Amino acid sequence: MARLGSDTSVLGPSTRIVGRVTGKGVLRVEGSLQGDLDVSGDAEIALGGSVEGNVSARSLDVSGSLLGDAVIEGPVTIRSGATVRGELRGSEVSIEPGSRVSVKLETELELSLGPAPRRR
Amino acid sequence: MSGTVIGEGLSIEGELTSEEEVIIHGNVRGKVTSSDAVSIAAGGIVQADIAGHSVSIAGQVTGDVSAPDRVDIQAGGRLVGDVKASRFTIADGASFKGAVDMEV
Amino acid sequence: MAQSSVIGSDTVVRGNVQGQGSLEILGRVEGDVDVTGDVVIGEAGAVLGSIDGAKISVHGAVQGDLRGKEAVLVERGGKVVGDLSAPRIGIAEGGLVRGHVRTDGEPAAAPVRRAAASPAVRSASASTGGGVGAFPPKPVAKVEPRPSPVATVSASVGATVSPGFADDDVPESESPTPRPKVEEREKPVGRRPPPPVLPSLGKGAKAKKKKDRDS
Repeated sequence: MARLGSDTSVLGPSTRIVGRVTGKGVLRVEGSLQGDLDVSGDAEIALGGSVEGNVSARSLDVSGSLLGDAVIEGPVTIRSGATVRGELRGSEVSIEPGSRVSVKLETELELSLGPAPRRR
Repeated sequence: MSGTVIGEGLSIEGELTSEEEVIIHGNVRGKVTSSDAVSIAAGGIVQADIAGHSVSIAGQVTGDVSAPDRVDIQAGGRLVGDVKASRFTIADGASFKGAVDMEV
Repeated sequence: MAQSSVIGSDTVVRGNVQGQGSLEILGRVEGDVDVTGDVVIGEAGAVLGSIDGAKISVHGAVQGDLRGKEAVLVERGGKVVGDLSAPRIGIAEGGLVRGHVRTDGEPAAAPVRRAAASPAVRSASASTGGGVGAFPPKPVAKVEPRPSPVATVSASVGATVSPGFADDDVPESESPTPRPKVEEREKPVGRRPPPPVLPSLGKGAKAKKKKDRDS
């Protein structure tokens, strides 16, 4: 029996969870989570929302606050107004100016900028 | 539209506190407290004490339930635990085992 | 208003670039960049070294830390391996960064300026005969003096370095405007090493030494 949006979860603005959140589906955090988050779908920390813990998800979109490490399959987007501190790993990490970050990006990236060949 | 919805595939292990409506389709183990309505949808499985302004149970709950307003167990719903509420209904087809205090 | 400079796409600078004004890097810089104005790394541009500037925009590749007084922006196609530090930081979709990214003003490490203007010169008394004059303070723009086909240019901000220089050995460019600190300071070559403290003694010299004690 398909439920409309049954795989979408929302933690409302006045909701606080202390503990782990895991499972399938999409999660939008408008309130606060103190603990780890591990979902198969997209995770969003809305403006005003906060997560203090590690996050694992298919994608991550932060407009609120994240204090913890994130290991994300797909893209990580940090929007202006967000506050993020921790290590981020994603297929791509984009940061909007206006955000406050202190993060370590573990992007898969190698540059081959060896010494320029001298032309003879 | 504010409100908290714990979708079907989600599991929470810990304490959830809220001031808004909480609808649980997934799993919760720990504690659920809200100053607004709490409803456990069919398919929701909760192992926790629940305190809400009102509590409606269509899924499975193991734990004590209290509400200043009312507690209702819907058809197909199941509660094992004590109930404290001024109004309490058990629908035909619901299951219930526990003590009841209707603050008489 | 300060000048703006361009390091052309066929140009390679081996050395540090420092000065006033803004800088566009379309070629390659192997060294640190430190300017007061904005820095733009073009799509084909590459920098192996750190970059300090006001607003730094990266469309190319950088291996080194970026410190912007105003902002650091890594645009689509930009690739940075290094730390970013600025009050405003942006990484556009398609930009790639590996390293620490901080908007809170604590850079990873203070920039190590190669311009050691202070005594890098050893005092003469400590010398064991080597050439003291061989320790000039390192010039800011370390330009390789020997002629090389690659245009190693004294990167003086205020001059335009264009592709035409690619095959020439370029002398220090003459900028009409006040030259920022990019002079080559090949310091005291005229200074002679002091005489050795101990003259070499031949055999049986001890007795001789008693007689004629000379330093």
